Amino acid sequence: MSDREPRQPAFVMKKVSKVYPGTKAVDEVDFEVFPGEVHALIGENGAGKSTLMKMMAGSFDDYTGDISINGETVKLHSPALAKKHGVEMIYQELSLALPISIAENVLVGRLPKKGLFLDREAMVTETRECLSKVGLQHLDPMTPIEDISQHEAQLAEIAKALGNDPAILVMDEPTSALSREEVERLFEIIANLKNMGLAIVYISHHLPEIFQVADRVTVLRDAKRIDTKDITDVTREELVQMMVGQSVTEFYGHENQSSDTVRMKVENLTRKGFFHDLSFHAYEGEVLGICGLSGAGRSELARVLVGLDDRDSGRTWIDGKEFKPRNMAEALRGGVTYLTENRKTEGLATRLDVQDNILAGLVPQLSPSGIYDKTRGVPVMERLISDLSIYPPDPFRTVANLSGGNQQKVLLAKWVACEPRVLILDEPTRGVDIGAKVIIHNTIEDLAKEGKTIILISSDLPELVGLSHRVMVMRQGHFIREMAKSECSEESVLLAANGEEAS
Amino acid sequence: MTDSAAKQIDKRSVAQSSLGKIMNTLGIYGIALLFLILGAVLQAFGVINNFLTGTNMLNIVDAVSMLGIVAVGMAFVTYSGHYADLSVPTTMALTGIVCVEMLKFGFIPAIIIATLVGVVIGLINAVAIGRFKANPIIWTLAMNYVTLGIIRLAWANKQIYPDMQASSQRASDLFDNIYRLRFFGSIGLPMVMLIILVIAFHFVFKRTRYGIQLKMTGAARNAAKFSGINVERTIGIAFLVCALTATLGGLSVTSLSRVGAWYNGAGYDFKAVTAIVIGGMTLAGGRGSIIGVLGGVLIIGLMNNIMTLLGIGTFSQDMIRGAIFIIVVGINAKSLRSLGRDDA
Repeated sequence: MSDREPRQPAFVMKKVSKVYPGTKAVDEVDFEVFPGEVHALIGENGAGKSTLMKMMAGSFDDYTGDISINGETVKLHSPALAKKHGVEMIYQELSLALPISIAENVLVGRLPKKGLFLDREAMVTETRECLSKVGLQHLDPMTPIEDISQHEAQLAEIAKALGNDPAILVMDEPTSALSREEVERLFEIIANLKNMGLAIVYISHHLPEIFQVADRVTVLRDAKRIDTKDITDVTREELVQMMVGQSVTEFYGHENQSSDTVRMKVENLTRKGFFHDLSFHAYEGEVLGICGLSGAGRSELARVLVGLDDRDSGRTWIDGKEFKPRNMAEALRGGVTYLTENRKTEGLATRLDVQDNILAGLVPQLSPSGIYDKTRGVPVMERLISDLSIYPPDPFRTVANLSGGNQQKVLLAKWVACEPRVLILDEPTRGVDIGAKVIIHNTIEDLAKEGKTIILISSDLPELVGLSHRVMVMRQGHFIREMAKSECSEESVLLAANGEEAS
Repeated sequence: MTDSAAKQIDKRSVAQSSLGKIMNTLGIYGIALLFLILGAVLQAFGVINNFLTGTNMLNIVDAVSMLGIVAVGMAFVTYSGHYADLSVPTTMALTGIVCVEMLKFGFIPAIIIATLVGVVIGLINAVAIGRFKANPIIWTLAMNYVTLGIIRLAWANKQIYPDMQASSQRASDLFDNIYRLRFFGSIGLPMVMLIILVIAFHFVFKRTRYGIQLKMTGAARNAAKFSGINVERTIGIAFLVCALTATLGGLSVTSLSRVGAWYNGAGYDFKAVTAIVIGGMTLAGGRGSIIGVLGGVLIIGLMNNIMTLLGIGTFSQDMIRGAIFIIVVGINAKSLRSLGRDDA
């Protein structure tokens, strides 16, 4: 893009903000896209990308700031208004109806009619025309969506958006489900659309892609716009720096030694189809990292350890005593807790307040005779709210009104309150802001220092490598490698998880 | 997030939560008071007669007690996140008719057998919905018709009368007295039962392990399970409690009408849910209180009474109640969503 100076931007956001109860998700952000430009929008989870995107899609009627399209100020207060003004969205998940034909999906809302009936011929020609823009002219428009590939369905989705003649196309992680060759084809199509004069907003966290496809890039962090750069003027390292704000590695490396008393021992644990013959042990005061690609069986292992799923064979011991919980209540009594990776569905009762959630695991202890007496739990809860800096420090705040990071702290507090001997943490910092992440990491280190055993399952490699004393690498249901702290680096762990040896 | 913005939000949330608390509990009684005043005003203008009289107030209290007994039990089901138990009407009818039939073995055995029938229905619901996750609405609706079928098969549309079934005059009198026994000359037994149930259930909700676990289960079933709560048992107990209070309600209604018949209890399902929802318990579960439900019951009782005195027909009353239900649920859902208090 060298000749954009004299032209008018297709889409401008000026000082837009969106406040959720308890959080400012987007804070006075400026953003603009020119016709024929691909403008990438990047940022860590929780930086405000998705809120900004929803704003473009017309999901909010209470944002502040101005949005103008082709020089005309508009209010994108409903999805219908956004569409009317020519904003089309391509979401990560498909929005096509699987059992009906491509044509009906692509032309939905404007199906051609002949009198009372559908005009099938016109449907086919119009759909063909749309499909040809995305390189799918070979498909029969009458094929149901479920009979075409994921990749083709995604392109059909783009075809559907193009059918509405948009001025702005917003794409959210469009490559997440695509193979390398399919990504290349998608990029060709994007280049084509660019030449047709479309303004494209491209949201992604795959940096290499951004360098391939984007003309400019805007970085968001903590709800604010950090900077907007021409892609040629910036390096990958600089972008990472802008996204993260501070160097993450500096938080780790506090030396602390685990004792040599074995806390948890597992022998030949098997859940058929998920993992097989897993044996390992974890020491008192140790952070044992478990790493693997998604689908390697990490969470399944955790669920079996706390009795949420049944095991097929194998034995477990805690402090020398056999431990075979049949449900979470028995696991809790045995001193083992499990922090789930699905905070909102399995972790927290988001409609209840902070107090109810933090004390949830303590209920049996606070009601030995069946009468619930929370007075003994309140000091514990108050200490945890302050230790974990849960903000706002209000026990009666509904959890749904906390930011993601503070929700995650509440979830961690719930399990710390139970004073377990073993904490299994499954993705403890997924989708939280950097501040919460630091606090959660410090808490994990403190717990280990107190002698608790932590089993840390994480896809966040700096976190895994930085916190763990040892890392077990899991692949397709087996432990394929154990790495001591000295051997661990982000690179070596990732290579091992992919089944390759570090050179 | 900037600090000042956060503080602003804070204030708002605190203001709303205290206002919300007042609205949720006392507000209900405020509305009940408004209905009382409305009745008085209508009487003052001569639109209705005999509203503010001892007899009429007693009528309201009696009508309210039976609905209240059923509603506070069904509140367990709603609180557990399972909307409502639609098998309540025929549970009431069946337990009532069984009790009348069994009066031939004496009063106490009749009550015990009727209670066992209630327990069986409750356990079937508990297992199907708690353990096997049957859809509560569909399951209890089906259960309602199965029970209705049983009644009509076994008694072939007949109505049976306590004084003809009972082994002795004494047993028949005792049965009649379930509804007619008066304490201090005016407070009926159903009212006493209601007061005891309200106190006991309020305590259960707020101060027992079961109550806290029911709240967790209702607010987020999976999160409750992951916190070590036996959600199947928790939900099962809710349905069992509901069947037992339906039994108490059924015996009272049958005693009142002095006839065991398949239609005893008709309409109690919807009236109870309406009372529960008006009382501030959300259908999504985990939010509300027994005291609130009692307020909802009072409002329904006053409303019914005023409508009857106004000469509004039963069908129109049903229509009005239905409309109120829809409006209350709508307002509730909308206000919770806009406050961000609900992720529904």
